[in-house]
Amino acid sequence: MTDPQIGISMLILFIFIIMLGFPIAFTLMAMGVSFGFYAYYVPGQEVFANRVFTLLVQKCFEVASNDVLIAVPVFTFMGYIIDRANILDRMFHALQLAIGGMPGALAVATMIVCALWGIASGIVGAVVVLMGLLALPAMLRAGYDHKLSSGVICAGGTLGILIPPSVMLILYGAIAGVSVVKLYAAAFIPGFGLTAAYIVYIVALAMWKPSLAPMLPREERSASLGVILYEILVSFMPLTVLTIVVLGVIFFGLATPTESAAMGAAGALLMAVAYGADYSKRRNVLLLQGYVALSLVFTPWLIGVRSFGLPAAQWPFIAAALVTGSTFFAMMYQNTFTLEKLKESVFLTARTAAMVCWLFVGSAIFSSTFALLGGQGYVEQFVLSLGLNSLGFMLLAQAIIFLLGWPLEWTEIIIIFVPIFLPLLDDFGIDPLFFGVMVALNLQTSFLSPPVAMAPFYLKGVAPPQVTINEIFRGTMPYIWIVVAFMALMYAFPGMALWLPKYIYG
Amino acid sequence: MANNAQTRTNRALMCIDSLSTSVGKSFAWLILVLTTAMTYEVFVRYALNAPTTWAFDFSYITYGALFLMAGAYTLSRNAHVRGDFLYRSWRPRTQALVDLMLYITFFLPGVSALAYSGWGYAATSVRFREVSIFSPAGIPIFPLKCLIPVAGMLLLIQGVAEIIRCGICIRNGAWPQRLHDVEEMETVILHEQEYLREHEKQDRHG
Repeated sequence: MTDPQIGISMLILFIFIIMLGFPIAFTLMAMGVSFGFYAYYVPGQEVFANRVFTLLVQKCFEVASNDVLIAVPVFTFMGYIIDRANILDRMFHALQLAIGGMPGALAVATMIVCALWGIASGIVGAVVVLMGLLALPAMLRAGYDHKLSSGVICAGGTLGILIPPSVMLILYGAIAGVSVVKLYAAAFIPGFGLTAAYIVYIVALAMWKPSLAPMLPREERSASLGVILYEILVSFMPLTVLTIVVLGVIFFGLATPTESAAMGAAGALLMAVAYGADYSKRRNVLLLQGYVALSLVFTPWLIGVRSFGLPAAQWPFIAAALVTGSTFFAMMYQNTFTLEKLKESVFLTARTAAMVCWLFVGSAIFSSTFALLGGQGYVEQFVLSLGLNSLGFMLLAQAIIFLLGWPLEWTEIIIIFVPIFLPLLDDFGIDPLFFGVMVALNLQTSFLSPPVAMAPFYLKGVAPPQVTINEIFRGTMPYIWIVVAFMALMYAFPGMALWLPKYIYG
Repeated sequence: MANNAQTRTNRALMCIDSLSTSVGKSFAWLILVLTTAMTYEVFVRYALNAPTTWAFDFSYITYGALFLMAGAYTLSRNAHVRGDFLYRSWRPRTQALVDLMLYITFFLPGVSALAYSGWGYAATSVRFREVSIFSPAGIPIFPLKCLIPVAGMLLLIQGVAEIIRCGICIRNGAWPQRLHDVEEMETVILHEQEYLREHEKQDRHG
């Protein structure tokens, strides 16, 4: 066998081992080392002098000092904290009051809450089960169709990993060497566009077949404008402001995604403490009101000092930081956001980060060995020999990724299989930025399509028994088609992804 | 006798698990350090016009240490991602047999290679007291490099524990219990729901 053929058999063997269900990170590492040992083998050389060992540890250190991947644990941490702040039901209730009169109101409210929550949290499983406990019973009680109500939650819950700031795009950025900031800008319009497309579909369906989504009884959606505004303000404002600040800071280049994520995590902690405080105590009410009033006065002034060169001094900033710290510290007494919840977030973050980053270590050594043996070149030649044009290649790549999404989860696909396509992008003149957004859109379906579909199975776990797994799967089908249609639309109008990054960064 | 040996194996398992867990959890707190340091850097850069020289190096060293040392902890929770669409449907004994073979033929050699090569890599770095080249502050990076062989060793020890687990499962036909620990919110809620349903069923029958 020639080296490239050995490279290809390495890939095939690897796919076989994946099927056996062994932790993928270590499969990759072992195969990378053993095939690398063969590739670097020099007759007569001592076993441990083989260069593959140096390569392995260098790749490991590269991942451990990767300045893009640092953002992964920090955004994950922010997500875990937001999941533990008690605001989901308030947001849902506020929206139900606000848009109660429109067709399919509850489904639309679910979709909006899922999207907004998902943007900030990014942890699909949590969004799906929390909404499954909150919104699904509400929709069923209102007489909504089983398929409609479960599909909304699954599709909405997975939006969080597409719309920035999302961990998926960070991983793609790290792999493709594309700036994460540009990726975020590129995914911005498609992300919200897809959300809008979902909502249009729900409203259209509800208008076409009102029996699937009956109107809410009047008493459940009648509230004075003042109450509605107050509820919207209290439930949506903090999370929205936090998200806008995190994204804005990244888009305008004020800080790196990691720094922005850290501020987001700090903000999320403050938010969780504020929502968790016991407001039956007058002390906490006064503290919060005082803090909000103070910040309404001082924030514009502080921004003014920095932006327009008003007389600058350092002490107001230090004072602001100290006041913030001590106010929230004071509210921590008898808070529902306990030390236990912080611990949960910290430990779960470590586990998720280790899972993702060790997968990166394995994949780094595997792919260098694969390239060293010439497997990568072999794949490239093979694809080029098919004589595809750019559209044909895009279709092929996306179809493969779509199919991989059936048995595999998105982390494996992004970290292991997407890199195989990346060197080919140049040959077909496809912008890696554009390809990344296409992949991110495509992977929405990997959460929804059977047999390994995280979202439907999580939802089934919390759904009442009369909602069957088949109904849930059939409920998610339309959304898979919407995603596919949306991808076609984006291929026809690449500006949807490429206009914003070009506009901001030239 | 057999019982005695069983308790001893169990105790050894728990020992290894708690070693990995306590190391992983201690390093997990670095996420708070990382968050604070990054927020501080942004604060002093914009509010006080005095950016630090150490923040960048500090950030990746903290992140690297965090995920390297959490690797064994993650393994002890069985939380490394698997392509388990077939695996899930097998009987525990089949799962354990396949796992056992792959732990011995794949996991042990791969991770030993990492621990071995990490050792020499770290030793060189320590000899020079290597510092970062990204800033004039001279942040030492040899401690991070030292963590690579340590992480490899911890993974190796945890791997032995997993192999013992496979052995127990092959003998008993069921996976042994793991230490209790924090779980993902979806897992916790799913368990609660299952528990509630069980109880409802019992109430109806009883």
